[in-house]
Amino acid sequence: MTELLRTEAMSVVYGGLHAVNGLDLRVDEGRLVGLIGPNGAGKTSFIDGISGFTRTQGAIHFRGRRVDREPAHRRARLGLGRTWQSLELFEDLTVRENLQVGAERQTVGGFLLDLVRPGRQRDQTDVDWALDVLGIAHLADRLPTEISHGQRKLVGAGRTLAARPALICMDEPAAGLDTTESEQFGRRLRRIVDAGVSILLVDHDMGLVMGVCDEVYVIEFGTRIAHGTPAQVVADEKVRAAYLGTKAAS
Amino acid sequence: MTRPRTPSARLRTGVPALVVVALLAVILAKGDYRANFFSGGGFALGALVAAIALGVVVTYRGSGVVNLAGAAVAMYAAYVYADLRAHGDLFLPPLPNPLAPIEGLVHLAGDDSFAVPHWPTSVSFGTAMGFWPALVLALVFCALFGLVLHVAVFRPLRHAPVLAKVVASVGVLLFLQAVVVRRFSTTTQVVGPLPFVDKTQVDLGLFKITQEQLFVVCLVLVLAVALWALFGRSRFGLAVRAAAENEKGATVLGFSADRLAAATWVLSTVVTGLLGIFVASVNSAVDPNTMPALIVPAVTAALVGGFTSFGWTTLAAFGLGMQVSLVTFLGANESWFPKAGGLPVPGVDLLVPLVVIVAVLALRGQSLPTRGVLGPGRLPFSPSARPWALRYGGPGLAVVALIPGVFFLSPAMRDGLTNTLTGIVICLSIVVLTGFIGQISLAQTSFAGLSAYTVASLSTHHGWPFPLPILAGAAVAVVAGVLVALPALRVRGVHLAIATLAFAVAVDKVVFANSWINGGFDGATVTTPDLLRSQDTATHEFLGVTIGDGTQPNPLTLVFCLVVVVALGYLVANLRRSLTGRQMLAIRSNERAAAAAGVNVAAVKVLAFGVSAFIAGVGGAVIAYRTGNVTPDKFLYDKSLMFFAFAYLGGIASVTGAVTGGLLVGGGLGFTVLNQVFGLPDEFVLLLGGLGLVVTAVLNPEGVAGKARTDLLALRRRLRPPAPADPPTSTDSATMADSSTPAEPLIPADTATPTTGPTPTVPSAAPTPNAAPTPNAAPTPVASGSAAGSHVSGSAGATPAVAGEAR
Amino acid sequence: MTALLEIDGLYSGYAGVAMVRDLNLTVHAGEIVALLGPNGAGKTTTLLTTSGLNPVMKGDIRVFGRSVRGRPAHRAPREGLAHVLEDRSLFYQLTVAENLRLAAARSRGDLDRALSYFPALEPLLGRRAGLLSGGEQQMLAMARALTSKPRLLMVDEMSLGLAPVIVERLLPVLRRIVDDTGAGVLLVEQHVHLALEVADRAAVLVHGDLVASGTTAEIAGRAAALESTYFGAGARTDDRTDDRTDDPKAAPDAVPDADAEPDLDADPEGSR
Repeated sequence: MTELLRTEAMSVVYGGLHAVNGLDLRVDEGRLVGLIGPNGAGKTSFIDGISGFTRTQGAIHFRGRRVDREPAHRRARLGLGRTWQSLELFEDLTVRENLQVGAERQTVGGFLLDLVRPGRQRDQTDVDWALDVLGIAHLADRLPTEISHGQRKLVGAGRTLAARPALICMDEPAAGLDTTESEQFGRRLRRIVDAGVSILLVDHDMGLVMGVCDEVYVIEFGTRIAHGTPAQVVADEKVRAAYLGTKAAS
Repeated sequence: MTRPRTPSARLRTGVPALVVVALLAVILAKGDYRANFFSGGGFALGALVAAIALGVVVTYRGSGVVNLAGAAVAMYAAYVYADLRAHGDLFLPPLPNPLAPIEGLVHLAGDDSFAVPHWPTSVSFGTAMGFWPALVLALVFCALFGLVLHVAVFRPLRHAPVLAKVVASVGVLLFLQAVVVRRFSTTTQVVGPLPFVDKTQVDLGLFKITQEQLFVVCLVLVLAVALWALFGRSRFGLAVRAAAENEKGATVLGFSADRLAAATWVLSTVVTGLLGIFVASVNSAVDPNTMPALIVPAVTAALVGGFTSFGWTTLAAFGLGMQVSLVTFLGANESWFPKAGGLPVPGVDLLVPLVVIVAVLALRGQSLPTRGVLGPGRLPFSPSARPWALRYGGPGLAVVALIPGVFFLSPAMRDGLTNTLTGIVICLSIVVLTGFIGQISLAQTSFAGLSAYTVASLSTHHGWPFPLPILAGAAVAVVAGVLVALPALRVRGVHLAIATLAFAVAVDKVVFANSWINGGFDGATVTTPDLLRSQDTATHEFLGVTIGDGTQPNPLTLVFCLVVVVALGYLVANLRRSLTGRQMLAIRSNERAAAAAGVNVAAVKVLAFGVSAFIAGVGGAVIAYRTGNVTPDKFLYDKSLMFFAFAYLGGIASVTGAVTGGLLVGGGLGFTVLNQVFGLPDEFVLLLGGLGLVVTAVLNPEGVAGKARTDLLALRRRLRPPAPADPPTSTDSATMADSSTPAEPLIPADTATPTTGPTPTVPSAAPTPNAAPTPNAAPTPVASGSAAGSHVSGSAGATPAVAGEAR
Repeated sequence: MTALLEIDGLYSGYAGVAMVRDLNLTVHAGEIVALLGPNGAGKTTTLLTTSGLNPVMKGDIRVFGRSVRGRPAHRAPREGLAHVLEDRSLFYQLTVAENLRLAAARSRGDLDRALSYFPALEPLLGRRAGLLSGGEQQMLAMARALTSKPRLLMVDEMSLGLAPVIVERLLPVLRRIVDDTGAGVLLVEQHVHLALEVADRAAVLVHGDLVASGTTAEIAGRAAALESTYFGAGARTDDRTDDRTDDPKAAPDAVPDADAEPDLDADPEGSR
């Protein structure tokens, strides 16, 4: 399988504390990879690190290129997309406009033309595709404040998807979804992967992660404690200890 | 971080320290430099700046507000004290009188003798008061004022966006100035001397200083040490620091963050007021303009101290105060000093704070906010794209109706309308910058003024024909705007407000007060085509209609302004609907998420500053052409503040808001109506503006136009059924089939259901949105401690998501 | 025994959506009560509401016999309520000693006594709290809570982000504190086994519903069922975790709570 993302001994340090501590992780093309761990294990810090929102040590390779010194927006344009735990939607823009921000690239000529003809037709294929895959086409003209939390989650994912990335890092996309929504969301994730977009999924919903992922990494204290198929990982004593406390391991 | 090559910590403190030490060495080495730097006047000024800066630091530590009205409090206190000593009167701000409109209406009906009861304008304590009672009373007044500021203004804004806090403090500044002007006019008031010190010279070896000056310097030093001890050692100080860092943590230990903040407000107004009184006594005079402008060096000093250190703040404040007399000396005596037209360039002393601010921000700023540092928070609503008919139909009708109306308006109303139109242009420039992309600039009239002087020079001295200088002027404004944008790439919120304010104050003196540029006493002449000149009284026959009534102002000037407003309004409305507009709003909502969506945040910010400065530049050019000569008073920094106030009042996020702002602006149509119909005097404009700004910021952060729009939206939402849930069949192939858009068949419908792996039918325990904590087990002391965090990091308890819902 | 804390039919949550429904719980002096449950069960919400940092929607909470409704949040701490927040809420800019001093309302003696439980902090007194390790920070948070001589101590997720060795060292300290001072403790903990070792009684919350409560032994007997709530067999009966504000159906009592109970007894292996 072709390698898409690989981190080598990646660390994130906040004021002397290692949130991520020498983590090696690899995502191949067409794979849905889960990243789980107890609260405070360093999952969000890891995503912040690879997407360029916090300083990292160690190497990050993406599509055969070293990216750990690139600014965040350039990594996004290379095809490394991410979503946010707290959604961070653009509240003043409609759903469609949210997706457009991710999908479109501005040029100088385009800017000047926009001032005169703002309504001119743009290529909406990617936006429509993302709206469709996530099943939110009927919400396109709503504002994020007018739709439900579950729908907002999908808009957050759609914004990243509309940019046609090679890899999406999803930070807690299922948090706050109910069972039905979460199952539905799992199926949508598979559809995204089938469309050729790899996913790195960080979530607390073990049902979702174990149900849809091809492989799972488990981290604790910023270090990897297990890696394998969902079945292997759930059976791992270290994983059970991390989630339930030490006595479970004995 | 996206900033790979940050200067190391050693470089960051080392280099500036070295520069300061080198400068000090030069000053100390040369006798006349030393004498001018360590002068009594310099010390007194430094002491006042230090006191204001200390007050700013105290309130920032207590409530996270950078109080731009700090210096105005000093001025106000001095006036209160002076009036008590001179007449025994405690003057009061004008209080709202619900009966006043009745009186206005009766007067309108013709009975001018009718009067309703009014609030007293002052409380008299009999005859002139002695020093001590006057001082104590003035300080009690200061303490009460601090309490009112906290309770009525800044407590309601505790979790508000930085913008609202800046706006509120600007409002307080304008209000205090306006009250003083209303009661005492702009002329200087005499303040009696202090009873226990006099002007005897004291020789301190290195320099000489009067007793009075020595006294205020010592007083400030004592206060600085006392504050340092209070905040560093006492339980109160610890609690204030704790609550600023983590409000929730302080609450569970039994501290009320609210009371702590109130105490710091009182403390800061008393300290600032005390020194305001003493320095005014030393200078024997106080006026409404000099002291409030000291907020720039004061805030600069506070910035040097990271809004926390009392020691560094005091040192920097003295340095910034004392350099003034040295720079004046250098200008008069040194051949290498920059000259303009044979005279030393004025206002170089004001460039010093600007340079310091830019240096500090460049060394400390961050290109993207880090986790834990909240963004500017929720800003006023920005209207989304509306259907064509609504978007262009309404405004179009208004304009069409206005054009014939122009020729029937009375001269006074024509004048008011022209002021409104030029005001709209400036407000539009603020809409782009603050409304669309969320950056605060308090230098918009500086851009306009730079453009106006360019127009004057090109049209008069270089013979450029009419429309061309407008573009050249706008281009100059754009260059200035982009220059200001560079620090803006690394700072946000209140720091940007400070930097732009310092820029505006420096431009006022260096450029606008520069006789080489400003054309001296008469102002710079603009060669205006007769048709457009406001003073032109000729009448014109056009299609059988007589245009003009032989009086000033020329109605055609009005038409010219209207054309410009329509064109710029059209561009701004289009900008909102364009991709660039979306990117700007995305950055305003969330810089980090915008970057994650591939938006080049830096480039778009520079573009926004450019567009905004362009609009302001066109506005300046229009103002220049309209009057036929350019005088600095139209473009001074306080005008920037005023326009910012009215743009915010109108509703900062839309063209409609800019139009509303233009109507409210001083000398504008709204004011003209009040003046002509109700006989409201001039000073009330700023008074109402300042008060309105505070009230708007507190009650209604979306501005007048924004409020109307929100109400409309709420109504629409109530009439419409709630958002549709996902259609039950939308999960799989159904969506694809139902979809009317011809999406490329990337996913064949039959593979939509996952075929591999266990199906996720197992219900599971998912975390809930609020209980899923950010893994903040790793504290980020760097982030929360840095001055760049313009929020009290403790208030991060309100998550952005929750704050978003609060709408 | 006196009831220090009485939670009575409590509904609480955010943005109009109840995260905790119809919760009844008491804590008496001298006992440790563990509040267990997977992520998102409403444990933290319960503690925050008790501290007055989150509003009561329905029902009531009485701390030391006084209702928390309408009381400023800074009052109860002055009467002996201590709360170790989930994020610890240390003041990172202040030193360890200063953090402790803020809690020591009365005398230096309280500070020394609190430190006696955590001797590891003594050499660190002059250090800024932000520079401590995770374990040291948790110790400081506990020590700070103890310095105020609490009658009722609430600890939220003591094990969060801590190495198991450290947690095992911290938990017995809780027991010592209770034995020494007679305080009551309400302990929220994700790590079931650790909590059950130290607690006297326990209550289990799943998705905001109290699904089990009893003595530690009773709860421990159903450990297998408890585990299932963590690893994906927990009951989720409706969209109650959804915070859609415009949906009137998200009212607290929409779903019978009985649904949740049987799932506790489900075979944990059945899910895999």
